[in-house]
Amino acid sequence: MKKLVALLLAAMMVLSLGSFAMAEEKTEITLWTYPIGGWGKEETVNEIIAAFNEKYPNITVKVEFLNYQDGDVQVTGAIEAGTTPDIIMEGPERLVSNWGAAGKMLDLSDLWTEEALADISAVSEAVVAACKSPEGVYYEYPLCMTTHTMAINYDVFEAAGALQYLDLENRTWTTENFEKALQALKDHGVEHTAIVYCGGQGGDQGTRALAMNLYSAQFTNPEHTAYTMNSEAGVKGLQKLVDLVNAGLLTADPGIVAGDELQLFANGTANMTLAWNASNASTYASQVSFKPYAMAFPADDGKPELAGGIWGFGIFDNKDEKKVAAAKEFIKFVSDDPVQGPKSVYATGFFPVRASFGDIYTGTEKESFKEFSVFMPFLGDYYNVTPNWPVQRTEWWNLLQRIFAGGDVAAEVETYINNSNPK
Amino acid sequence: MQYTLMEQARKRRNRENLVGYAFMLPSLIFFIGFVIFPMGMALVTSFTDYSMTTFNFVGFNNYLRAFKDPVFLKSTWNTIIIVLVSVPVVTLFSLWVASVVYKMSNLSSSFFRIVFYLPIVTGTVAVTVVWKWIFNNYYGLLNYVFKELGVISRNINWLGDPRYALACIITILLTTSIGQPIVLYVSALANVDPSLVEAGEVDGATNMQVFWKIKWPQIMPTTLYILVITTINSFQCFALIQLLTSGGPNNATNTIMYNIYYHAYKLNEYGYGNAMGILLALLIAVFSFIQFRLAKTDNE
Repeated sequence: MKKLVALLLAAMMVLSLGSFAMAEEKTEITLWTYPIGGWGKEETVNEIIAAFNEKYPNITVKVEFLNYQDGDVQVTGAIEAGTTPDIIMEGPERLVSNWGAAGKMLDLSDLWTEEALADISAVSEAVVAACKSPEGVYYEYPLCMTTHTMAINYDVFEAAGALQYLDLENRTWTTENFEKALQALKDHGVEHTAIVYCGGQGGDQGTRALAMNLYSAQFTNPEHTAYTMNSEAGVKGLQKLVDLVNAGLLTADPGIVAGDELQLFANGTANMTLAWNASNASTYASQVSFKPYAMAFPADDGKPELAGGIWGFGIFDNKDEKKVAAAKEFIKFVSDDPVQGPKSVYATGFFPVRASFGDIYTGTEKESFKEFSVFMPFLGDYYNVTPNWPVQRTEWWNLLQRIFAGGDVAAEVETYINNSNPK
Repeated sequence: MQYTLMEQARKRRNRENLVGYAFMLPSLIFFIGFVIFPMGMALVTSFTDYSMTTFNFVGFNNYLRAFKDPVFLKSTWNTIIIVLVSVPVVTLFSLWVASVVYKMSNLSSSFFRIVFYLPIVTGTVAVTVVWKWIFNNYYGLLNYVFKELGVISRNINWLGDPRYALACIITILLTTSIGQPIVLYVSALANVDPSLVEAGEVDGATNMQVFWKIKWPQIMPTTLYILVITTINSFQCFALIQLLTSGGPNNATNTIMYNIYYHAYKLNEYGYGNAMGILLALLIAVFSFIQFRLAKTDNE
C-alpha cells in the first residue's frame, strides 16, 4: 500500500512537471512592419499584440518597425544573412513579386479558406489576384486596401470658380475639365496648381495614375508581363503633362518626392496633391488651414482607374514549423477574427479587404475616412506585381525628369519601356 | 653561455611578440571579419551573377557591363568631379582656417574648432534636412537671400536642376568635410618647431617664405593624411545623394556609391554591385597612389 501511494505521488509529480513544462513552452515570433498607417506606431501595434496574447499567451511577438527609406536594405540584408523575421507586413509588390518570386516566402494557401476567398473576392477580385504569384501561390494574406487619389484645395478652387469643372458627387473630372480648372486657377493668380514631383520613387503611384488616366492608358498588359505606357494613349498622356507644364498650368519638379509635395499642399504652396489617401488625410489634418477635398484622377472619359494599395502579411521561410504555425495564428487573429480584424484595419486608416467587416469608420473619430469609400468602385488593375517592378519604379521618375527637361516624349518612353520590361 | 643568453633573449622577444599579438587580437578579429573577409567576398562575388536567386560564375561580365553602362559611366564622372573639386577646396580652406585659428587664444581657437567640427557630430540626416530647407525651390533660404540681394529674379530649383544639383551636393559635402582637417591642421601647425620659424625670420624670410619653406614641409604628413582621407570620403559620398536627390535629376548627382546601393539593395544585383565596388576601390587606390607620389616628391 505504501509503495502504491509513493508510486502515485511520484506519477503525479512527474505529470505536474510535464504539464508545467507544457504550460511554460512559449514560441517567440518576430514581426517586421513597414509604416502602414498606425502599424508603424509602437503603441498601436503593442495594443494589437496584447489582444493577441490574451487569446494566445504562449506566443510572444517581437516587433521591429521599418521605414521606406531603408526598410528594403534591412530586409535584403536579413535575407542574405538568414535572419529574416517570421512575419512581414507590406504589399504584393514586395511580398509576392520580389521576395515571393525569389523563393523566400512561404505559400499561405491554407490561410485562404473558401470563406476567406469568398469574403475578399466580394470586395475585389483584384486583391485576390495581387496576393498570388503567376503560378497561383499565395504569398500574401491581405488585411486592408485603399485607393490612391489626388486632392484639391477646395477653398482655392471655390474662389477661382473652378469647382464647376468637378463632378462633386462622384469625385471625378474629365481631362478637358481638369485643364479648364487649371486655367481657372492660373487666371485666379495661383502660382502652383499641382506639382508633378519626380525626384525619386516616393509616391510615384500618383504621377503614374495622372499620366495613365488622362487618356485611359494601361500601365501594363493584362497578363502583367510587360509595361505598356508606350501605347498611343500612354504617350499622349505624358505629352499632355509636358504641354501643361510648358504652358505654366502645372509645375514639374525633379527635386522633390511625394512627401515634399504633400507638405507643399498642406502649407498652401501647391493647390493639389497627387499623393492623397485616407492615411495622408489623417496625417495632414492638423496642418491644413483649408478644406482638402479628395478627387479621382482626371480621365478623358470621366471614368478613372485608380491605383490601389493592398497591405497584408507574408511569412518568411525560416524552416521552423512551430514558428510558422504561431505566425499563422497571429495572421489569422489580426486579419480574420471578427472582433480584432476590423480593429486591425482601423489601425491602418485604410479599408477592409473583407466584405464581412463592413463599414468600420461610422461612429468613430475617423468617420471622415468614409469619404474615401466613394473611390472603391474606381479601383483599377493591381499592376504592381509585374516583373522588374523595382527597375520600373526608378525608370519612371527618370522618364519624367527627361521629358520635363525637354526630351522627346515618344523616344524617352521607348527608352523607359526598354529598360523596364523583363529581358 | 653565449648560446643561453641568446636563447633567453629570443624567448623574451617571442613572449613580447605574443603579448603584442594578444593585444592586437580583438582588433585583428574585427578587422579580418569586417574588412578583409568582406573585401575578399566582394572580389569573389564580383565575378558571379549573385542575386537573391542566382549564384553563377560569369567571369568579367559584370566589369564589362559596367564599362558599357551609361549610368555607371556618368556616376563615375560625377564622383571624379566631386573628388577633384572637394579635395583641393577642403584642403586649402582647412589650411587657411587653421593657419588663422592656431594663432588665437585657447578659448577662441576652441570656439572655432567646435564651430567647424559641429556638422560632423550633428549627423548626416539632420544636416541634410537643414540643407534641404536652404535649397528648397519654394520657400528656401538661399532663393530668398539671392532674390533680396538681386542676384536672381526668380526662384531656382537648386536640387532639381541638373546645372546646379551637383554643385549643391559638393557644397554640403564641404561643410561636413572640413571639420576634421581643420582640427588636424591646427594641431600640426602648433607643433611646428618655433626655433626654425624664428631662425627663418631672423634671416629675413618673408611670411610666405616661412610658410612654404619651413611650416609646409613639417605639416606635410598631416596634409597627406588629409588628402587621402578626404579623397576616400569624397569617393564614398552616398548619404547626401540618397537623402536629397536619389541620384537625379537625370543622373546629375549619381555617384558610384549610390549606384552600388541601387543595384545591390533595390535590384538585388549583388554581383554587379560588388563589381562596381571593386572598380571604386581601384579608383581610390589610383588616386591615393598619385597623392602619395606627389607628396613624396614635395618632401624630397
